[in-house]
Amino acid sequence: MPAEPLPPLLERRLIIVTGKGGTGKTTIATALGVAAARRGHSVLLAEMGGQEQIPQRVHPGHPPVGNAACELLPRLTTIHIDPFEALAEYLGLQTHLRGVVDLFMRNRGVSQLLEAAPGWRELITLGKLWHLAQMEDGEGRRLYELIVVDAPATGHGMTFLDVPRVVGSAVRAGPLRVHARRVEEFLRDPDQTLLLPVSLAEELPARETVELVRRAQTGIGMAVDRVIANAVAPDPFPAPVPADLEQRLRCLGDDVKLGELPTASVLAECGAYLRARYALNASCLEQLRQDCGQPLVTLPYRPGQLAGADALDAFAQPLFALSEAG
Amino acid sequence: MSSPRLASLLAERRLLVVAGTGGVGKTTIAAALAIEAARRRQRVLVLTIDPAHRLYDALNLDRADHEMPGEARPVSAAAAAQFGIVEPGRLDALMLDMKSTFDGLVDRFAESDEAKARILENPIYQHVSNTLAGSTEYAAMEKLCELAEAGRYDLIVLDTPPSQHALDFLDAPRRLVEFLDSRLVRLLVHPAMAAGRFGFRFFQRTGQRVLQSLERISGVGFVRDISDFLRAIEGMSDGFRNRATRVRALLLGDDSAFLLVAAPSPEAADTSLEFLARMQSTGVPVEGVLLNRMRLWPQGEAPASILSETIATADLQALTHALASGRDALPAPIARQAAESAVEQAKRYAWLVELDQRSTSPLREQAERNRQLVRCIPEFPQDACDANGLLRIGDALFRAAPEADPGAATGSNGGQLHAE
Repeated sequence: MPAEPLPPLLERRLIIVTGKGGTGKTTIATALGVAAARRGHSVLLAEMGGQEQIPQRVHPGHPPVGNAACELLPRLTTIHIDPFEALAEYLGLQTHLRGVVDLFMRNRGVSQLLEAAPGWRELITLGKLWHLAQMEDGEGRRLYELIVVDAPATGHGMTFLDVPRVVGSAVRAGPLRVHARRVEEFLRDPDQTLLLPVSLAEELPARETVELVRRAQTGIGMAVDRVIANAVAPDPFPAPVPADLEQRLRCLGDDVKLGELPTASVLAECGAYLRARYALNASCLEQLRQDCGQPLVTLPYRPGQLAGADALDAFAQPLFALSEAG
Repeated sequence: MSSPRLASLLAERRLLVVAGTGGVGKTTIAAALAIEAARRRQRVLVLTIDPAHRLYDALNLDRADHEMPGEARPVSAAAAAQFGIVEPGRLDALMLDMKSTFDGLVDRFAESDEAKARILENPIYQHVSNTLAGSTEYAAMEKLCELAEAGRYDLIVLDTPPSQHALDFLDAPRRLVEFLDSRLVRLLVHPAMAAGRFGFRFFQRTGQRVLQSLERISGVGFVRDISDFLRAIEGMSDGFRNRATRVRALLLGDDSAFLLVAAPSPEAADTSLEFLARMQSTGVPVEGVLLNRMRLWPQGEAPASILSETIATADLQALTHALASGRDALPAPIARQAAESAVEQAKRYAWLVELDQRSTSPLREQAERNRQLVRCIPEFPQDACDANGLLRIGDALFRAAPEADPGAATGSNGGQLHAE
């Protein structure tokens, strides 16, 4: 596959990696964070909801880090954002009454209200990301030049990103509106925020990715400048292997003695499976390329889970393609 | 050997909930189960609360159906024929639309026309009902309850939203009731009364300060809007509470069964195991685990030799020789290359089969300990998402005979792994 020239990836402040569940978002977000940190950027890798995964990808067997930011590699920090903790922090900052806020949050009525109330988790999580993007060190430099987010799966991911707009329009005046608008503007600024959709070369994920790109650009107004097709398998039978190899194997039948090898018909079935998958993948890649209207980055299929900084860094290289490849 | 237990779930239960993490193929499996039940002459509804349009795509419903969400639509006569559904069997599909479901709820439970108008015009209501994450689950519960009670269907197959959210969904009725009963709601609705009635010292002292701060942060009118909204729905809360209790009873009752769909990718398998444990601990009646997209060896088990590093030269020569002889023989160098890639690809496939077995084994073992049925659905080389694909899934689940279909054999190689 020829490398396509891509716009620079690491000039953004916030990269939100999203896609259908099972596409390998977490691996790609983590790999991107590791690669960016190794290129000298100070990076924050953020995950949310469910189980913490990022520290264990970078350092297999890493103990859980919880909600506190934790440095995994030089210039690479990770955080698992808990909306309850982030809300307490926000209210504490706003009211200067952290003690009272803690009491308030622990109140049973309040926790029931928060359990039930929709939307605030998304808003507070995005607000927290905005806040982290603004943080500075003692000398006025950005604490994190780049924030990479492992966002929720597509359907909910889009709702997630739309919340600031909704809140901004539901609330008529006051600080909440100001904050929601500020987060919304940050998300919609193409120089600062990029949505990085991850797909598979399979029909449903491809279709969903096309829809995601369309909604991101027209509905929410977020920038997308490349689409990733992950876990793309290589051509199992490159030329000059004949296209009818499986047919030939089937014709040999099970009478041919192949020693320790599986029978010719089993070889035919294995080959037919991989060839059919390959054809399906190729047509889905074509659909992604045409319907997303963005350069497509393909990442190769790899068995098992990718872990460790070196492997992650190497895996991320095609994401940068020509423009930044070192 | 078919799966009597899975078939009896279709026949005897009134609600099948298809749960699982994202990307494992819940929607496709929900559709395949619904088709199978309809083929067995049942009146079936498949209900999806996944925001994507996947179910409609899977059932080949036409574009016009996308534009009329919120209503159950029968599959076309052509699709029904293709699926082999005949009277009295029928298959309807419903993709849930939040807004219309919520509006319907207000319509039914609001105390008066005036109350109804006030709710529908409230900005908080408009956004809660239409857009914000989390309201999906409430609306789905509501619709499910309505449809289950209307009794138009013998079986409802429910496709749940992905991952972490599926448990929110199971929790939604309880949270709704607790929310409506909460003191904070009462405080917002009737501040003076709540303080008086409950002698709510916390709120009298510090709570008021926090509420004042909240009003300051959130801006003029926002807390008032919330308060208005809550006051407006207060009259509906008995209806809500009643519904929520009934939905919970329906979901956890004897007429329901949960099936966990899992896939063999390492991430999905791990998350599924955690998911299963959480479902067990919340008392969800999980009846089975369906392992989707399993790569299975074509005949019996993959021989260990194919996974070993080296392939005997003599064996490779035998294959080369076979391909280079007889009618339409390949030229020797090409035969050699073809033999090599055939073996290499078989090796690769054997490795994929092995990976899937390894990644799913903790899940299979857990399910067997729980006495849940475990079924494998092979990964088909073609995409599953058309009529034939859906029928193939039904075949794998209900008609896979070890003799006829080695791909779904028993033992460690798939099929019905948990003997009853």
